[in-house]
Amino acid sequence: MLVLTRKVGQSIVIGDEVEIVVLEVRGEQVRIGIRAPKTVSVHRKEIYDQIRDENVNASEVRPEDIPEA
Amino acid sequence: MILSNTRFGNIEISEEDVITFPEGLIGFPSTSKFVLITVKEDSAFRWLQSAEEPALAFLVADPFRFVPDYDVELPGHVQTQFAGLDSNAIVLFTTATIPKGKPKDLTLNLAGPIFIHAGCRKGFQAVLENDAYTVRYRVFPQADCVTDGVAA
Repeated sequence: MLVLTRKVGQSIVIGDEVEIVVLEVRGEQVRIGIRAPKTVSVHRKEIYDQIRDENVNASEVRPEDIPEA
Repeated sequence: MILSNTRFGNIEISEEDVITFPEGLIGFPSTSKFVLITVKEDSAFRWLQSAEEPALAFLVADPFRFVPDYDVELPGHVQTQFAGLDSNAIVLFTTATIPKGKPKDLTLNLAGPIFIHAGCRKGFQAVLENDAYTVRYRVFPQADCVTDGVAA
């Protein structure tokens, strides 16, 4: 993993179109701004992981368990 | 052509039945071709069957049958993909999960809706960032075990 040290207000550019800005640091929390084209999806990883897990669960449902609805 | 799958037996489909998910589903980026399978007419459920992996199918549901006020906007990056197309042709599903043998524990993933455009036959799974909806929305109320077997 590439590790960079940044100060508040400084940013990181990824490719030509994505910019990540450190907006604020307060204790253990960091506020980050992301500038990216609309075609790039940006998510908090824990939500992404939960949705991935639910997709896995939905692929393991047995047809005989589906309720009448 | 024949759709090979492990759940429903051979199904005859045509090329137009195939829905392309350019980004795949979340966690499944390498599978992009799917077919929606209806097992029972009028059911709220469908199967999103991979056209490439016979054993891979996701149970999906029409969320409005269970959550009539489910209010979700087309996220920006999906909007870009469907730009210029008829927005009335967009169909919405959510994945549905049922633990083995427990149909009453049905949950819907309202935070990761799946948008399919019936015209261009393309689909995208979105991630809702606003915390308004959970990934495990319980459809039926939890069974109340306290009242069970208690005599007056």
